[in-house]
Amino acid sequence: MSVIQLAVDGIVYGSIIVLGAVGLSLVYSIGDFPNFAHGDLMVAGAYGGLVANLGLTQIGLQPTSVFSPELLVTIVAGLAIGIVVAVATHYLVFKPLDSGPIALLITSFGVALIYRSLIWMGFGSSARSYNFPRSGPIGSIRDATGLAVTNRMLVIVLATAVVVTTLHFVLQYSMLGKKMRAAADNGDLARISGIRPRETVLTMWVGGGALAAMGGVFLGLHTLIRPLMGFDILLLIFAAVILGGIGSIYGAMLGGFAIGLAHEMTPVIPGVGSEYGAAVAFVIMIIILLVRPGGILGEETT
Amino acid sequence: MSSFELTYDGANLQKENTVLEVAGLKKSFGGLVVTDDVSLAIESGSITGMIGPNGAGKSTLFNQISGFYDPDDGTVEVNGTDVTGKQPNKIVQEGLLRTFQTPRRLEKMTVREAMLVGAQSQLGESILPLWISGAEVTREERANLERAMELLEFFEIDHLATEPTTSLSGGQMKLLALARALMAEPDILLLDEPVAGINPTLVNQIAGFIEELNQEQGYTFFIIEHDIEFLMGLAEEVIVLNQGRVLLEGTPETVQSDERVINAYLGDM
Amino acid sequence: MNVTIPKTDHELGSTSVVLLGLIVLLGLAILTGALTVSYATYLIALSGMYVLLALGLNVQWGYGGIINFAVVAFWGLGAYVAALATARTSPLGLEWHPLFALVVAIIFSVIAAILVGLPAIRLRADYLAIATLGFSEIFRLLVANETHITAGMAGLAGIPSVLEDLPFDTVTTNLLVVAVAGALVFLFLRRIHRSPWGRVMQIIKADEDLAESLGKNAFSFKMQTFVLGCVIMTIAGVYYAHFIGYVDPTDLDPLETFFVWVAVILGGSGSNRGAVVGAFILVAVLEGTRFLTDFSIFAALSTGPLRLLIVGVLIVLIMRFKPEGLYPPRDELIWPKSQTDTEGQS
Repeated sequence: MSVIQLAVDGIVYGSIIVLGAVGLSLVYSIGDFPNFAHGDLMVAGAYGGLVANLGLTQIGLQPTSVFSPELLVTIVAGLAIGIVVAVATHYLVFKPLDSGPIALLITSFGVALIYRSLIWMGFGSSARSYNFPRSGPIGSIRDATGLAVTNRMLVIVLATAVVVTTLHFVLQYSMLGKKMRAAADNGDLARISGIRPRETVLTMWVGGGALAAMGGVFLGLHTLIRPLMGFDILLLIFAAVILGGIGSIYGAMLGGFAIGLAHEMTPVIPGVGSEYGAAVAFVIMIIILLVRPGGILGEETT
Repeated sequence: MSSFELTYDGANLQKENTVLEVAGLKKSFGGLVVTDDVSLAIESGSITGMIGPNGAGKSTLFNQISGFYDPDDGTVEVNGTDVTGKQPNKIVQEGLLRTFQTPRRLEKMTVREAMLVGAQSQLGESILPLWISGAEVTREERANLERAMELLEFFEIDHLATEPTTSLSGGQMKLLALARALMAEPDILLLDEPVAGINPTLVNQIAGFIEELNQEQGYTFFIIEHDIEFLMGLAEEVIVLNQGRVLLEGTPETVQSDERVINAYLGDM
Repeated sequence: MNVTIPKTDHELGSTSVVLLGLIVLLGLAILTGALTVSYATYLIALSGMYVLLALGLNVQWGYGGIINFAVVAFWGLGAYVAALATARTSPLGLEWHPLFALVVAIIFSVIAAILVGLPAIRLRADYLAIATLGFSEIFRLLVANETHITAGMAGLAGIPSVLEDLPFDTVTTNLLVVAVAGALVFLFLRRIHRSPWGRVMQIIKADEDLAESLGKNAFSFKMQTFVLGCVIMTIAGVYYAHFIGYVDPTDLDPLETFFVWVAVILGGSGSNRGAVVGAFILVAVLEGTRFLTDFSIFAALSTGPLRLLIVGVLIVLIMRFKPEGLYPPRDELIWPKSQTDTEGQS
C-alpha cells in the first residue's frame, strides 16, 4: 500500500481519535482526572446510534447511501445517549464522590466496566454494523489519485472537520467557550482555588459525552460496532491528549491526527508491521510523558 | 554563643562558624525574577529572621537553599560543602533541615510515627538489615522512640504521641513539625512561617521553645516569618527581602525603624 | 483516641471469619454437588495466586502510593518466561528445570521493573497510571506478535506442572506450593512493613516533598517498592504457568490488572491482611458469577458481562462508601520488638 494511502487511512482514524480526544482532554483538565470510562462512553454512543439506525430500518427506511438523513438520525441518537450517559454518570458517581484525582481515576475504571458490561448484556458480544450500504472506494477519486477512499471515510473526515471548525468558533467567540478554555487552560489554578463552576462542569460533560458519542458512531461506521472496542481505542485517545497537552483543545485535535497517522502509518517503519500500530502510538505517548509531560502544545512543566 | 555582628561582608566571614552560606542566588520563573542575587551567611548558634512582603521571594529562597528548586545561578554551602542543585534529601544529610509553611496532615500516621521519620540514617530504613541485624534495628528504634518522646515532652505534646496526626490542630501540627525536625539533630533549621495562623498564646510558647533550643542546646535557626513582632523578640539579625533582593539586614530594632522597610510593606499592601 | 484501637486478636478473628466463611461455602458447595473437589482445589490455588498478586500491588500502591497499571504485564512476564523456558512446545526449546526458570524470571522482572521504573516512577500519579498501562499494552502486543519467540496467539501448552519432583499428587503440590509461597511473601512483607522502611514508604505516600525534606531519598524508596512488588507479581505468573499449564496472549488482558486492583482496594490499601482477604473475595466474585447464571433471574445473562458488572459496581461502591477498604492497615509502623519493654505502647 502506498504511503499516501496509509496517510489517508491515518486521517480517517485520526478523525475518530480527535473526537474522543477533545472530550477526554476537557474532562481531564476541568474535571481534573483521567477518565478511563471515556472509551466505553464512546461505545455507548455507538450503540445509541445503532438503536436508532435499526429502528429506522424497522419502520422500513432503507438508506441508499451513507450520505443520508438516516445517518444524521443515527448520529443525533448517539449524541443524545452519550450526553445522557455522561451527565447521569457525573451526577450518580463522580459528583457524590468528591474526592481526589486518583480516587476518581480508579472509580472511572469501575464506571468503564459498568458501561461495557451493560452494553454487552444488552446487545450481545458479537459485532454489529449500521445499516448503510457498504460501497467500495469512490471511483472518481481512485481514478484520479489511485487512492481508496470510501463514502464512509469521506463522511467521517468531513463531519469531523465540521465539528472541529464549529468547536473552534464556539471556543473563540462564545462566552461559554471562553469560560471552558479558561477553565481547561488553568487546570492547576482551578485545582488550587477549587473553582469548578457548575455550569462549566456540566458543559464539560455534555460536550465530552457528545464528542465521545460522535467518535463512537464513526468508529462503528468505520469498522464494526463491538462492545469491547472502547478499551482498544481508549489508550490511543490518551496518547493523543497527552501528545497535544492535557487541557489544550487544539492540542487534542493535533494529537488526535498525529496518533491516527502514527497508528496507520506504522508499516512505513522498516521491520514493523501494522500489528504494532497501537504500540507505536503508546511509545510516542510514553516518550512525551517522560520528556515533555505538558504535551507539544501545552505548557512546559517540570 | 550568640553573635550580634552578623553583617554579610564577603571575604571577612569566619568560615569555621558559618553553617550556611548563600552567594548570588538567582531564580526566575518564566521571565519573572523571584530571587535576584541573594547572598547571606548564617553563623552557627544564631537565630536569623527573614521578613519581606508577599511575593518577595522568601519561600523561593528557602526552596533553593533546601534543594527543592535548582537556582539559575549562585551557590549554597552548608558547613562548607557546596550543595547547590543537590537533592533535598542529600542536603538534609549535610545538616540543613527545613519545615514547610503549611504542614500537611499525614494520613494514617500517629504523632510518634511521624516523629520517628525525622531520625536520620536509620539502619532499619534498608530492607536487608531488617533481616540480618534485627537486634541492632531494635536498639536503634528504641533509642529513636525515646528521643521522640523526650522531644514531644519538651514541646508539651507527649500526650498526643499515639494520636493520628489527622486529629491535631494547626498549632499542634507546627509543634510536631518542629519536634520532628529536631529528631534529625540538624546543624541549621530553616523554619518557614512557624507561627503563621496560630493563636497568640501558642505563638509566644513557640518563641519560648525556639529561644530555649537556641540558648540551651545551641541550635541554629533561620526563620521566615510575616509576624515581625515574633522575630523582634527572638532574632539577633533580621534580613529584609524585597522583590527578590536583600533590602537590608541588621538588628530587629534597626530594621523595624527603617523607612525602606516600612515602605516595602506598605507598598505591597 | 488511640489509632491502634482494634485489638490484634479481634482483628485476626474477623479476618479468619471471612476466610473461614468462604471455605465453609466452598465445603457446602462440594457437599451439595455444586462443586467438584478438583474445581474447589482449583479455586483455592487460583485464590492463592491472586493473593500473591494483591500482595505485590499492595506493596506498590498500599505502601508507597505508586500506581501500577501494568500488573498483568509483570505477571505475564513470569508466566511467559516460565512457559518459554520449560514448555515442550516452546519455540526456544529450552526445557529448563522450573526452579531455574523461576530464578531467571525473577531476574528478568527486576530488570524490567528497573527499566520501566527508572524513567516512569518520577511521573505524577495519573501520568504513571497511563504510562504503565501503555507499557502493559506494548508488552501484550509484543507477546502476541513476536511469534517466532513467543508462539504468538497459538499460545504455549505443555508447561510442566508445579514442582513435579515433590512426592505429592499434582493437586496437593499446587495447593502446597501456593500456600507456602503466599505465607513466605506475607511474612516477608509484614516484617519489612512494620519497620523504619515501611514508615518511610508511608510518609512518601502521604507527602513526597516532606519525605525529601526529612532526608529520605524518595526516588530510591519508590524504586525499591516498585521492583519488589513487580517481583512478587512475576512469581505469581510463574506459578500460574505451571499451575494451568498453558498461556496465551489473551491472558495479558489489562482487565486482569484491574481485578487485582479491586482485590487491593476492597481489602484495604496498605494492609497485607486486606490484600489476602480481597484476593479471596475477588476469586469468589469472578468464579461465583458462573453459578449466578444457574438462577432463573440471571439465566439470560452470560458470565462474562455479569462478572464485569459486579466488578465495576464493586469498584464504584468501595470508592464511594468505603475507600479505606474492609481491613484498613491498623498497625503503627514501628518495629514491633522495640516496643516490647518500653512505655506507652498499645
